[in-house]
Order: sequence, then structure tokens, then C-alpha cells
Amino acid sequence: MNLSDLILQAVINGILIGGFYAVMMLGFSVIWGVMGVINLAHGEFLMVGAYLTWVLNRQYGIDPFIALIVVLPAMFLLGYIFQRILINRIIERPFLIALLVTYGLSVAMASTVKLIYKADPRVTDTALTGFWNLSDGVGIPATKFYILIAALIMMAGLYLFLQYTRLGKSIRAAAQNKEAARMVGIEIGQVYAITFAICIALTGAAGALISPTTSIFPFMGPVLTLKAFAITAMAGLGNIPGALMGGIILGLVENLIATLVPGVGSNLGITSSFILLVVVLVTRPQGLFGGLKPAEAR
Amino acid sequence: MKRGIKVFTIMALLALVFSLLPGQTLAQEVTCDSEVVVQADDWLSKIAEKFYGDVLAFPAIAQATNAVAADDESYTTIENVDLIEVGWKLCVPSTADAEAMLNRSIGAAMAEVEFDGIIRIGAAVSETGSLAQAGEDTREGYDLWVDFVNHEYGGIQVGDQRYGVEIIYYDDESDADTAANLVERLISEDQVQFMFGPYSSGLTMSTSAVAEQHNIIFIEGNGSSETLFERGFQNLFATLTPASFYTRSAMDLFAASGVQTVAIAYEDEPFSASVLAGTQIWAEELGMEVLAVETYPRGATVAEIDPIVTKLKALNADVFVGGGHLNDGIAFVRSAKSLEYCPQAMVLTAGPNFPEFAEELGADAENVLGPTQWEATMGWVGAYLGTPGEYDRRYQAMFNSVPTYQSAESTAVGLALHAAIEAAGSMETDAVRQALRDLDIVTFYGPINFDDTGKNVAKPMASGQIQDGVFTVVAPSDAAVADFKFEPLSWCDG
Repeated sequence: MNLSDLILQAVINGILIGGFYAVMMLGFSVIWGVMGVINLAHGEFLMVGAYLTWVLNRQYGIDPFIALIVVLPAMFLLGYIFQRILINRIIERPFLIALLVTYGLSVAMASTVKLIYKADPRVTDTALTGFWNLSDGVGIPATKFYILIAALIMMAGLYLFLQYTRLGKSIRAAAQNKEAARMVGIEIGQVYAITFAICIALTGAAGALISPTTSIFPFMGPVLTLKAFAITAMAGLGNIPGALMGGIILGLVENLIATLVPGVGSNLGITSSFILLVVVLVTRPQGLFGGLKPAEAR
Repeated sequence: MKRGIKVFTIMALLALVFSLLPGQTLAQEVTCDSEVVVQADDWLSKIAEKFYGDVLAFPAIAQATNAVAADDESYTTIENVDLIEVGWKLCVPSTADAEAMLNRSIGAAMAEVEFDGIIRIGAAVSETGSLAQAGEDTREGYDLWVDFVNHEYGGIQVGDQRYGVEIIYYDDESDADTAANLVERLISEDQVQFMFGPYSSGLTMSTSAVAEQHNIIFIEGNGSSETLFERGFQNLFATLTPASFYTRSAMDLFAASGVQTVAIAYEDEPFSASVLAGTQIWAEELGMEVLAVETYPRGATVAEIDPIVTKLKALNADVFVGGGHLNDGIAFVRSAKSLEYCPQAMVLTAGPNFPEFAEELGADAENVLGPTQWEATMGWVGAYLGTPGEYDRRYQAMFNSVPTYQSAESTAVGLALHAAIEAAGSMETDAVRQALRDLDIVTFYGPINFDDTGKNVAKPMASGQIQDGVFTVVAPSDAAVADFKFEPLSWCDG
């Protein structure tokens, strides 16, 4: 395998993980854009989705991709409940309260899962495995390809929902101008609840998707929440095509640096994502592609 | 006045004489309900469990045996209830007699023994964070020793007094700074007399420094990085084999199989760095070439590991040696499978020895190698807790899970302190420190003998391989229970 092969494989890996990143952070981004809440428990919701998938996989033998049928509605319900009993109370409050509450939620969720399932790492098994050789050791890992497809389908679904359905338009209206939305008769409380539920469903689904590729454990959330931050800054709040582009940019940057720099490449890869975050926030806070509004505290 | 003193002296002498008389006159009337010849893997509490359903009734058996041994030489006199030998004949009294001897009903929980004092020990272990899983093993290892001392052994012997032990735990959240603060608190506020270590070299690094500042003895069993012992600390003692030896026996196997090139990738933290630094030394010694040395960050996910696997695939070394902790060990196997990375053999520094590794990965785990400090199949025989098999049974009865070497080396920490305090006959730091330096014992965990820097230099490191889903010791030859299988990983063709 020569250098160009190595670069090609890095690009393939980067695009595949980029698509996953996009669906992973979309829930975080939309919640921030519509409700102004920075959900620090984002990674933990993903983790819960992953554990749910693991239970379905281990106890009932359901493939993680098929388990999405169960995970999406289950996480939707979970999100709806959380929104009604907890998040609703912090939306109109000062910004720091949202951070505190969601941080506390993240700790509570991780510890609860640890109590139930212990901290042992878990994996799920999928039938969609394999490696499609393109040439000379370079190829496409099958599982990650299917993850990308599933991610794209879900993002397309969300996009169509937000663009063309009445509820979707209400959500976008609420994000743009809450007062005006109220004035035209949009039920803001209901909009928020549905938004949060959809976002958690999406995040849980991302957890289901990642479960065959990495180890699942209760404290896997924080690093993913941080990456969600980074991509949100690049993508712009609530911007779906932006999320896809941002995710892919991050995936490519991480992978190219990690693969091509010998020795410490992998460490630099993850560092680069946060350097990118800072650069984008300083130069173009509304995101590279614009969004519902600039990434700022209310 | 003079007469009063005389009376008092006579009373005191009488009291002394009475206290020295054998306490149990019942002993003369003991009849043996059953006779037992000790088999391999027997211990007194197990026999008690079998006959009375009460593991703590064993003193009755010892007492009855010693009583009849006075008259009948076919019975052995039991000097130490923890050490019985195969072939000894024991006398098991009836339940009624045993109850009379113990002055309680059998099957009831043992009343709390009155200790002359409690030894306070502090430990910061990981209950949350990425190291939580092994942190739990560590804690269970410590708890087993505490339970043994307080409920079976009857307290550590200091002179003619018996002391119970108590460990005060805090959660270090898998973070080195948090751990250091907690140790500070344990020493300054909770006034512990000794410290036990956390899980992982990274956390041991910061916590042992705090203990050293306060001149508190710090015994650990889960930090093996060589850098820990290069700081000139006087109070640090480690029961486990140092990190640089972890891959020695696996590398020997590879050299014997004709392997020529090695690729290395590891988690960027002190333990893995030490292990893989050692690997490079062995590679050079054995004439193998290291093609690459890659690192990845702590808490790495598939996003960080895929690029490494891609690079290693391009290099095409004969074997791969690396890893960090269990999480990334599992992620590595998954990543290698998804990208079809096929080295001839794979050694993961921490992973294969955990039952969860084979359980979760299933067929993917087959033929993966990993170092191990201890396995239940090894042949050590020690004071206090017997053989690895006995420890395994005891642990399973207590925690309903199989002990890993992380648990075993933690229990060994307790045993080291235990043996040192008894040898020193004191709990003074200087005396115990000297006793630890002079310690030279064999335990269920293996030999313990500390050098001047605190490393346990007497204990060898083994390698195991997942064979048919079971982690099997394959090297060195005197610990091996099966041969090394130099076969492709499950997702690779031959």
C-alpha cells in the first residue's frame, strides 16, 4: 500500500465517519437552534440508545439496524417525557441554568446506567459486516457504509419534515422568532416538546448505529458531546445540509491528520477538531453555512 | 495497707493462673460425628460449610480435632487454621457439640469479634469514568481481604493484640487530579494510617506522590508503569509485575515462531507506554524489527482507532502488539475486523484476560493474546488464602463473578500489608516500611519480594491466548496450561 492508497483509505474513512458525525450531532444542533438549550447530556442520550440496542441485540438477537425500528420510537418517548418534566422548565431561564441542569442530567444518566449494567464495555453484532476491496488493501468497510446510508436516510427524513410539513415549519418559525410564532398561533410548548423528542430519537438512533463499531460503556458520552459542539459551530445551528458538510469536514480532517502523521497522528486528529471549532467560532460564528441563528448564548 | 496489697497480689496471681488454664473442659467429652481426611483444594471453612452449612463454624472443627489429637495420634493437631494439609484427619463434632463449643447457634451470622482496635486504610478507586470497570475489580479485591481479616482471620496480630481493618473509599472518577485531592483528604482529614492504590498507572502516579509527601505507606497492585518507581520514593510498594515485562513471554513465543517484524500502537498514558517500551526492548533483544510506534489518546473511540489500523495495515508487519485498557482493546478488534487488518498475531496489553472480552466479542476474540498477572489456574500456594483455585471460589461466593487479575493483585496488596504488620509487630510507619522491604513470601497471587524502589521483582508475568472462547495461559512454559496457537485471527484467511 503506497502513500496515495493510504490517503484514499483515509478519505474513505473520513467520509464514512463524517456521515455518522452528522447524524450524531444533529439532535444537539437543532435543540440549541430551536430552544436555545445547550444539551450537555447529549452524549448520554446517545449512550442510552446504544445500550437499548445492546439489550435488544443480546437478549433478542435483533440486528442493530433493525433495532432502529424500536429505538427511534422508544427514544422519542423518552425525549418527550424528559422535555415535559425537565427541559421545559429551563427554556426561558438564564443560559447557565440549562448548562447546569443538563450537566447534572448527564451525570445522573451515566451513573444510573452504570448501576444497572456495570461499567463493562459492550458491543453489538450485526450481519452487515465485510470489507469491499477496491484495490490493493484499500476498500470500504461494509458496516460503516451502511451506517452512512442509514444516517443519510434519517437526515433526509428530518430535512423533508422540517421543510414541508406544517409541524416542521412551526419548528423553524419558533426558532427564528418565538414571539412572532406565538402571535400567529403556534403552540410553542408543543413545538418544543416534539422538537426535543425528535432530536433525542435521532441521537438514540445514532447510538444504535455506532454500537457495532466501538465499545459501549456508560461514560462514553462526554467525548461525543464535545465533538457535537465542534461540528455545530461549523455547521450552524439546526442546519441539516451544514451538519452533513461539517461532519464530513471534521471526519476528513481527523482522519487525514491521524493517518498521515506518524506516531502521534491520532492525538493530533482529535486536537484538530477542537482547533477547528475555535477558528470557526472566531471567524464565522454563524457557522460556515449559516444556520437558524449564530451560535451564541441567549 | 500491706495486707490489702497481699490480698490483691494473691487475687491477681489466681486470676493469672485461671486465665492460663485451657478454657474448654468440654474438650474431654468430644465425640467425632464424622471423620474427614483432607483432600486437595480443601480448607477448613469449606469443610465447615459442607457439614454445617456455615463457613464460620470452622473453629469447632479445629477445636474438636485438637482435642481428640491429644489422645489419638491419627488425628493431627492444627496449629494454624489457615493451613491444613492433604491427608490430615480431622474430627467433625456433631452440630450440637459444635454449637456448644462456639457458644452460638450454627448458621447464624458470627457476632462481631471484639478487636483491640481498627486499622484505618484509605483508597481512592474509580467508580465512574472510563476506568470504572477495573476500578470495581480493584475494590472487590480489597474488600475480600477486609472480609477475610475481620471475619475469618480474627484481626491482624500486632503483638498480642488483634486489630480489625477498615478501608475508607472515595470515587476518583478515573481522573488523576481528583484522585490526588481525595488522597490528600484521606490522609489529612480522615487520618488514615495506610494507603492502598487506585487502578491504573496514571492515577497511581499522582496519588502516590501525595502519600509520599505525607510519609504514608502506599501499597498498590494496579500501577505497573516503570516511571512510578523512578522517583526515589520510599513509601511506594507494588505487588504486581512491572509493566516492561508484560509482553516478554509473548515476544519469546513470536521469536520462536520465526516472527521478524512488529507493529506497535498504544494508548498514550504511562502504563501502556511502559509496556510498549518494554516490548521494544524485547524486540531488539530477540532480533525483531519494530516497523512503527503509534499512539492514540485516552478514551479513544472508533474515530481515533480506525486511522491507526489503516496505517498498520499499510505497514504489513508480521504481528501487532499494543492497546491500552479494555475499552480500546475491544474497539481495536472491531476496527481491525471492519478494515480487514490481518497481522499474523495480535497482542493486546489489557483486554483478553477479562472475561468480558471473550463474552462480548464472541468468535472475533479467538486467538488474540494478552498478558496476565495472574490466573486462577496457576499453581501458587500461599499463606492466608491458599491457592488461586481457592481464591477463585471464595471470590465467586462473595461477588458472584469471576476474579480478574486486577482483583487478585488488589487482594495481594492487603496481604502484603497484613504480613508486614505482623512481621513488624507494630503499625508504626518506619517499622512497617522496613518489614515490607524485608518481605519475602508466597501468596495465592505469587511471590512478593520488593526491591529498593518498591517493585515486586520476584513475580513472573504470563501470557494467555483466547482459545475456544477461554483465556488460556500459554507462556512461560512453567505456567502454561496449553500450547500457543499461531493461527490467523477469526476474520482473516489462513
